[in-house]
Amino acid sequence: MRLTALYAIAFALFTGTACGAADAAPPLEYRLKAVFLLDFARFVDWPPGALGALDSPFNICILGPNPFGEELDRVVTGEAVQGRKVAVQKISRAPSPGACQIVFVGRPEDSSIDIGALGRGILTVGEGEDFVRRGGMIAFVVDNRRVTFNINWRVSEAAGLKLSSRLLGVAKTVIR
Amino acid sequence: MINLSKDRARNKFRDAPIRQKLVIIIMVTTAVAMFLASFGILGFDSVLFRANLSHDLSALARIIAQNSTGAVTFDDPRTATETLNALRVRTHLVSACIYKDGVPFARYIRPGAPPVCAPIDFTDETIFGGSELTVSYGIVLDGKRIGTLMMTYDQQEIFQRRQLYGGIVIGVLLLSSLIAFLLSSGLRASIEDPIVQLVKATTEVAETNDYSIRAKKVSSDELGQLTEGFNEMLSGIQSRDNSLRTALFDREEALHEAKKAHERFRFLAESMPQKIFTATPEGKVDYFNQQWSEFTGLTFAQLQEGGWDSILHPDDVEADRVSRGQALETGEAFQIQHRFRRADGEYRWHLTRVHAMRDATRAISMWIGSSTDIHEQKETEEALRRANDDLQQFAYSASHDLQEPIRNVTIYSEIIARRYRTMLDAEGTQALGFLAEGGRRMAMLINDLLAYTRAGATDGEISLQDASVVLKNTLAGLSEAIRESNATVSYDELPKVYMREVHLQQVLQNLIGNALKYRTDEPPSIHVSATDMGGAWRITVADNGIGIDPQYKEKIFGVFKRLHRDQKYSGTGVGLAICHRVVERYGGRIWVDSTLGHGAKFHFTVPRHSGQWRSAS
Repeated sequence: MRLTALYAIAFALFTGTACGAADAAPPLEYRLKAVFLLDFARFVDWPPGALGALDSPFNICILGPNPFGEELDRVVTGEAVQGRKVAVQKISRAPSPGACQIVFVGRPEDSSIDIGALGRGILTVGEGEDFVRRGGMIAFVVDNRRVTFNINWRVSEAAGLKLSSRLLGVAKTVIR
Repeated sequence: MINLSKDRARNKFRDAPIRQKLVIIIMVTTAVAMFLASFGILGFDSVLFRANLSHDLSALARIIAQNSTGAVTFDDPRTATETLNALRVRTHLVSACIYKDGVPFARYIRPGAPPVCAPIDFTDETIFGGSELTVSYGIVLDGKRIGTLMMTYDQQEIFQRRQLYGGIVIGVLLLSSLIAFLLSSGLRASIEDPIVQLVKATTEVAETNDYSIRAKKVSSDELGQLTEGFNEMLSGIQSRDNSLRTALFDREEALHEAKKAHERFRFLAESMPQKIFTATPEGKVDYFNQQWSEFTGLTFAQLQEGGWDSILHPDDVEADRVSRGQALETGEAFQIQHRFRRADGEYRWHLTRVHAMRDATRAISMWIGSSTDIHEQKETEEALRRANDDLQQFAYSASHDLQEPIRNVTIYSEIIARRYRTMLDAEGTQALGFLAEGGRRMAMLINDLLAYTRAGATDGEISLQDASVVLKNTLAGLSEAIRESNATVSYDELPKVYMREVHLQQVLQNLIGNALKYRTDEPPSIHVSATDMGGAWRITVADNGIGIDPQYKEKIFGVFKRLHRDQKYSGTGVGLAICHRVVERYGGRIWVDSTLGHGAKFHFTVPRHSGQWRSAS
């Protein structure tokens, strides 16, 4: 079931044709980004204490507008990161410490939020070439009609996060 | 056919010299050991290498799989391919493919290899195929399988390795064989040399029969012991050989000696004038010398067959048998006089002596006898004895018959003197006195002569006589004469002697009588003594009389030998002759020590033991 879906995604990605399956569904690009978003969690080590108690959920917070629609919720359903249940939270302000493990910044152009000051233990993910320059850690970019990402390693290090070299290996650019 | 050649090879090996055997054994052992070791090592290495390779490839696959998780997750085949391209250094890796969702996602194909990925396999294991091995490994993220890594590895490495090892094995084998050969040349000497020495010694001994040869001992191991044992055996043989030789030599020598001794005896026996014979210990005669045949005119065979009885005088046979029987019984020597018959029939007297010859154990080994012809001697002796007897008889009867006419002369001259004294004138009376005196002297002479002849006629047992008693009796008989001459006679204790009383008295009476008669003006002094001379007693009668001129020392003991003619010393000249005759009959001696005018010492000896009485000759 899942394999067939992935084939479909890959096909759509490489051919660059948006099938436009359903209005409710987000474009293919965000469906892929939703999968990636969850997968990032698997290549990152959070500093001690940042994940909270074992029964507390692993929160992926969407700051601002949600480009994934219901897709992200669907992706994380039944998934677990570091033994914790994954949950999706929608937030409008900077989260309190320990509330979010990943923060997806939906609106990178919104300068009212200082992405670099979100605090330790939070992986910040955004979109566009500027995001990592403004203090974000991982930014989705589309390169040659292919979804990839840039990484600001300096920022993630400063935030106490350990990014796997395998993650760094597949990034388009890494700021060190 | 195969068996035949195998047998031949075995025989060939069995007959090969030990040095070759040793080399063959060492080489074969070395080669087999090396082969086995090499194949063992090779096999072990193969297994080990496969295990290592499989382990190694698994580790490699794990690393690649882990490193590919990012690329697989984030759908980045380029990065995945780059990761796979790092495998280029493993030249034996044919291909490596990453599958995502069942389709190839990224791959590495060794240049020149067919661009195909092995079919996907989810069992995650290492499979050794015919010529290559395949490793499949799951790419897992957070416990979820997100893809599969498949790697194909050719087994060229194993083959190359086997080739290399094979080369090394052959090289080592050759080298070790060479070293074994060189070493064995040195080592086999330690086994071969003692054996060669033994073989050499054995061959030499066999060729020369010289048991003084010894094998050289090279080592102290079993071969050394063998050599020692061999040498000991040789020395044993040598000493036995020597003693055998010596014994043989001694035996030959002894035989030679015996033969020589025998020849010497034969020569001696043949060259002697006596008749010689030898007999066995049982008394059977086994040898007569030539003299027997010449004397009896019989051959040895005839003599042996006829025995002694055939040549002995019939009167001697019995005595001869008795003597021989006694000798055989007691083993003692004997001698016998008997008569043997000569070839012309005459019996001749022989003196035969027979002795037993004894060996080292005192057992009689043979009898040796010699017979000497004593016929002439025996006849002479007989004639002499007869003549002596006749003479004695004549002297006795002559002196006896002479007594009668002399007595007549004496008696009738006395009758004339008594009856016709008045009728005779002075001249007639004087003549008659001469006649009476002559008759009286003649009677005395005849009496003495009779005594002399009787002195020898003595036979029968002789008993021990106390000389002191005899002397006293003698002195009693002479008492008138001693008193007349005013003499003193002294004597020591005299021994007991083996001599008849009458004879001892005769001697003592004559000697003491002479001492009284041949006196000076001094009264006679006479001493009788005895001295122990060991085998005999010496009895001495010493006086202080007129003595005797030494030149007459021998003469005085003859019959009718008188030194004095004048009337002063009356006598017939028979006294000392009687003494001489008596003393000599008893095996003694009589002599005198004297100087004229200074007295005389008459000595005579009497043997201490009886049995030395000389029979009348």
